[in-house]
Amino acid sequence: MSNSVVENIGDIRNDFDSFQKLINFYHRNKDNVFRNIELKLNWFSANNCSVLGALLSILQDNLNAIQIDAGLANNILEKNGFLSFFGHNIRFDNFDTTISYKILTPHDERFFNSYIFNELLCKECLPQLSEPLKKKIAEAIYEIFINAKMHSGTKKIFTCGQHFPAKKKIDFMITDLGVGIRESINNRFQSEINAIDAIKWAVINEHTIKQGVSGGIGLAILQEFIAKNKGELQIISNNGYWKLDESGIYTRTFEKEFPGTIINISVRTDDTSSYVLADEENVDNIF
Amino acid sequence: MDRVEINIYAIVGNGFCVSAEDGQKVNEQIKKVLDRNIGVEISFKNTEMLTSAFLNTAIGNLYGEYEENMLKNSLSVTNISNDDKLLVKRVVDTAKAYFKDPDRFEKSIKKIMEED
Repeated sequence: MSNSVVENIGDIRNDFDSFQKLINFYHRNKDNVFRNIELKLNWFSANNCSVLGALLSILQDNLNAIQIDAGLANNILEKNGFLSFFGHNIRFDNFDTTISYKILTPHDERFFNSYIFNELLCKECLPQLSEPLKKKIAEAIYEIFINAKMHSGTKKIFTCGQHFPAKKKIDFMITDLGVGIRESINNRFQSEINAIDAIKWAVINEHTIKQGVSGGIGLAILQEFIAKNKGELQIISNNGYWKLDESGIYTRTFEKEFPGTIINISVRTDDTSSYVLADEENVDNIF
Repeated sequence: MDRVEINIYAIVGNGFCVSAEDGQKVNEQIKKVLDRNIGVEISFKNTEMLTSAFLNTAIGNLYGEYEENMLKNSLSVTNISNDDKLLVKRVVDTAKAYFKDPDRFEKSIKKIMEED
């Protein structure tokens, strides 16, 4: 039997079919050990480095050697640092549109702070965006990171983004390899909820799986921001797919399970909504 | 009522008030003061980023340990934008509702399963 596997994944965009392809790729290879896996990419939406990197890390843990022929995506995946994890050089991003690929542990909060500051919030970053919108995007990303850290039990968190100045949007994805939303809820409440209902439940304000403490606002805040921004929010967990965009909420079930949770946001940078309350507005009776 | 100012920036060590662990440090400082029957003015001066997870542990969880009326009379905020005030209020309202009926989430799971 040949020790090499050649996988041609084809185009990967931010849609259900692309996530299905990635999940199928994972299931075809998850039991391989000591193989050379040669992965061929074509069109590849750069934020998906987050999910691909997470899946490849499982295959690498099984002592498989990964080689990537990134095709059309080679330049961008060298610029965002993804391919440097697979033996390629890092290429300088002369257009400054990449948001780097990072592998973090749940305890890397300080590093994550620097990452968000250096790539999103600093004065020179994303000069087309208003400061309140930048802050709102950063807050949304923090809520996703903290959600992954607190609820999934993951050992690693994979992040990547991409700025599209011409399309006036920023895509950002965070992937964890934890237990998934369905398992978190069913473990906590001894319920038998399915993956889609689990995601639906988790995005409702105040719903938390933590016991004896309040919370459960983070995903609701994220959902409200994306709705106001007229962007797109996708949540993939276990075999559930949930998407919010301008046309509403859309759900589907994957053929097989994703081994964790992916949260992907697409934020419109031409958003002129106000994200700042006027100082004159009265916010009293907080407590 | 006498009040002591608690400076979140000084407790966290920077302006990124995002993690539940840092929120827990603030929570413990607030409780030290409340347990002496002294009010707390929570200062958000120099904070750059707040998350709901931080505020849940820093402030929301107080509602599981102290009477709502006592907290209403003892807590205040300063050096905070109206946006961040709204987030604090949302966390507080969520905490009040949660600690009044901690079991209601199980009912909500049954409800969402029945909707299919």
